[in-house]
Amino acid sequence: MLIELLTKRYPGMRAWLTQRLSGLVMAIYSVLALGRFLLLQPTYYEAWLDFFRPWWWRLASLLFWISLSIHAWLGIRDVLKDYVPNANLRGVLIKLLVVVLWLYLAWATYLLFG
Amino acid sequence: MLNDSSQNQSKVGLTKAQKPRPKNLNLLTIRLPINALVSILHRATGCILFLILPVILLLLQWSLSSAANFETVVAILHSPLIKLMLLGLGWAFSHHFFAGIRHLAMDVHWMTSLMKARYTSKVVLVLGALATLLLAIKLW
Repeated sequence: MLIELLTKRYPGMRAWLTQRLSGLVMAIYSVLALGRFLLLQPTYYEAWLDFFRPWWWRLASLLFWISLSIHAWLGIRDVLKDYVPNANLRGVLIKLLVVVLWLYLAWATYLLFG
Repeated sequence: MLNDSSQNQSKVGLTKAQKPRPKNLNLLTIRLPINALVSILHRATGCILFLILPVILLLLQWSLSSAANFETVVAILHSPLIKLMLLGLGWAFSHHFFAGIRHLAMDVHWMTSLMKARYTSKVVLVLGALATLLLAIKLW
């Protein structure tokens, strides 16, 4: 039943599950980030670099940003669908949203691994 | 009934333009239920967090680029007005976080009755306020 709900016949169900999973990933990362921040207390430059030095943390950060991109795409798309009645304008704004989110993801990847 | 009253008014001699127009939806009489309040704030804070993304990336880039730039970013974040904005952002994040957890809880059929949902709405608002208070203490 659940598997059937997640097929292409029910795109809303997939959006729903994607929004939950990406939210969950970000929630877990946020708690870890806060814990690491309080533990390491990066108040000077070297400590701040050390905060982002472990490869697993950079990987987690990238995973966070990928989740954020998907989450923001679904969320802002819903907001645009609700408040922009003009279909042409809405289409342009949603395309713009996708472009901006890809740019942010590229930027974040460059910061983490560049 | 409605027809009766309009007929009464026309008897009094009001023209069509002078007649008080029916007010079907007076927004001022609508009180947002607490669940709706948490829901719309979840949406609003989501938009705020999306809009602030480029600033976060910019600050991250600066702070990681050199020791001098790191100090500049720290100085910026310590100025009074920016601190106030940080507090606002902190609230937006924590509200979105806790309201999201509430969504996840309801998706696994926990706390779904109206009474319980109203209760968890209050919990979300209180937790968001508490997190903001902790941030305020940390900032000042």
